[in-house]
Amino acid sequence: MRTLLAALCLILAAGSGAAQENGDLGLIPEAIDSEPAGPSPPASNAHGKYFLENDSTLASTRGNLTAAMPPPSPWLNRTSLDAYDQWSVDGTLFFTFSDRLNLSETNGTGAPAETSRNDVREVYGTWEPASETYVEFGRINLKNGVALGFNPTDFFKTRSAVAQASADPASLRDDRLGTLMLRAETIWDGGSATIAFAPRLQPPRPLDRTAPGWLNPSFDQTNGADRFLVALNPEIGDFGPQALIYHEGERTRFGLNLSHPLGQAIVAYAEWAGGNAPDLIANAISVGKATGTLPSTLPVLPSTSTGRALQNDLAVGASWSSAARITLNLEFHVHQAGFSSADWRNWFAVGAADPAAATELWYVRGYASDQQEPMSRQQVFLRADWQDAFIKDLELSAIAFVNPVDGSAMMQAAASRYLSGAWTVAGYFGGTFGGRRSEWGSIPGAVNATIQVVRYF
Amino acid sequence: MFRILVSGAVMAALASSAMAQSTSPSAEEIVVGADLTRNPGQPFRVTDTLVEYINGQPHDRLTLVVFAKEDGGTHRFANLVRMVEPERDTGKMVLMNGSNMWFYDPSSKDSVRISPQQRLLGQAADGDVVTANLARDYAATLLGEEKLEDADRQNRTCWHLDLTASSDEAVYSRIEYWVEKNSDRPVKGKFYADSGRLLKIAYYRKYVEQLGRQRPSQTIVIDAVDQTLVTTMTNSDMRTEDIPDSWFHRDYLPRLKVE
Repeated sequence: MRTLLAALCLILAAGSGAAQENGDLGLIPEAIDSEPAGPSPPASNAHGKYFLENDSTLASTRGNLTAAMPPPSPWLNRTSLDAYDQWSVDGTLFFTFSDRLNLSETNGTGAPAETSRNDVREVYGTWEPASETYVEFGRINLKNGVALGFNPTDFFKTRSAVAQASADPASLRDDRLGTLMLRAETIWDGGSATIAFAPRLQPPRPLDRTAPGWLNPSFDQTNGADRFLVALNPEIGDFGPQALIYHEGERTRFGLNLSHPLGQAIVAYAEWAGGNAPDLIANAISVGKATGTLPSTLPVLPSTSTGRALQNDLAVGASWSSAARITLNLEFHVHQAGFSSADWRNWFAVGAADPAAATELWYVRGYASDQQEPMSRQQVFLRADWQDAFIKDLELSAIAFVNPVDGSAMMQAAASRYLSGAWTVAGYFGGTFGGRRSEWGSIPGAVNATIQVVRYF
Repeated sequence: MFRILVSGAVMAALASSAMAQSTSPSAEEIVVGADLTRNPGQPFRVTDTLVEYINGQPHDRLTLVVFAKEDGGTHRFANLVRMVEPERDTGKMVLMNGSNMWFYDPSSKDSVRISPQQRLLGQAADGDVVTANLARDYAATLLGEEKLEDADRQNRTCWHLDLTASSDEAVYSRIEYWVEKNSDRPVKGKFYADSGRLLKIAYYRKYVEQLGRQRPSQTIVIDAVDQTLVTTMTNSDMRTEDIPDSWFHRDYLPRLKVE
């Protein structure tokens, strides 16, 4: 009897559950019935991406530097028109154009100093002679590397930086000059292969000179040497491997990228490049003398060996993402050619003892920045990103480059509010922190804040 | 008298249950049929328009083009998703091929590897309740027959199924699934996390002829965690497309043309 009653209860309960199953229908908004009844019109990529951006920055400076350097402008306003588009000529022939026009104002003598600059990031044609096989010619942004904070295998990043509002390396990769090259790529079921040749067009421009005209394409930045790249991306397991060989001048470098998911939330990755080269100081002084910025008789300061040796660059890290739309990246960088602790001690000792050496000392640091490579042999990079933070369409992010030896750091926090599909307002607040004789505590820029407004078309 | 009534009711229930079991398809057959209703067997492309409602009011609108192809061996779908609107996201793409997932941004011309977790983030994640091949990743149990109102409050007689994750690539731990009898039309799904928490409720509606079969042209996804959020996914322009396997390589992302 008890069994039968239990069975009856179960049957009745099941019936009752079915009746309650539609309780969630009340959650469906009535407004959905006012959506178009039929399917929406077919979408296409009829146009690229166009936007107008304004950045206003205030910056404070650090005084009493160990090695003197002119401080950056205390304020800057920059208005930029950014365009990216791609057109198909006949289905096998495509044309790509990417450009940014900047109008800048900084503090000048008695009145704002105005400058204008047009950066043609890319302009190239693509021919697809066979399915998934491409031949391209023109100024192309060729990027490689799985890491975020430092990309040893991104060989064409050198001297490509243009004016930026954000210090986030993701922004540096977004907006940079391409290199005039001939590139061929083929993609098959099991991988892809790329070969590229970028010719020398002009002698390299000295670091301390700006482009002579606002429309100058700056090929003397991007095409100052003959460069070759071969990249192979076979699909092996779940590691997304990429092997690279790069040749520039008399130097050949090898590279490798690997990435692999670990469970549902983590992606681990590693990026390595290596080859024979002088260290950062010797390389920088050599370039400075070759381009006429530094006198040819100048001794190498801080003193270092000018010989070549195997120099390894490594970025190893992982990303972790949460269901709350938070993504964290933690990376450790090794730049063997960079400054050791002894190099830093020498740099500060020479700077303090000989003010006349400041130009050469800062040239080395400017060179590293221009090459987009770390100054020190070790570096830690952190990035945090939170989408829909607290409220819908608010993105919070932060980055930090930390020197693990001297404890100094460069940090930036950002908040972006996506007001609509067409409008975004963002704020950036950043600074450098550390002792007077530390990597980040020794630079003139202390704290800066930027307000950015973007209108997409 | 009471005993007779009880016995009669139980006998009737057991008899109807036995009859249902003798004529009903297996749970797996029902799920396979519903999968075929939602997803064509041949490679295809479709345009999806997502409208997100907050507290009953439309808030965000997103349009994306999806290229999908089922692996004949694994029956797993590989997807290429390209954003069309809003303007700030135009041209961004996601490649989802098993655990091989990459995000591509045309601004940086960069592909970044993403985790399976990130597939579940944002509006586009609702695609999981539309394009997933449930028969492949879940073990199904037929709970019985049930009358249910669809999203238009029409009564439907459905098979009620309980789906339990059976592969590492299953996105949800458990799914409750209602499929209309005799039509293979999915009507409703409830999607659960490992913890047993209900995450999403999906209603499949507006069946229209697409690629030779009646398929749902709209899915309503209710966020069960934040019930003020509801997303409609309306598909259009579904068509077969010749999609070679090489398209699902990350280096193809910058090459994808949507015309």
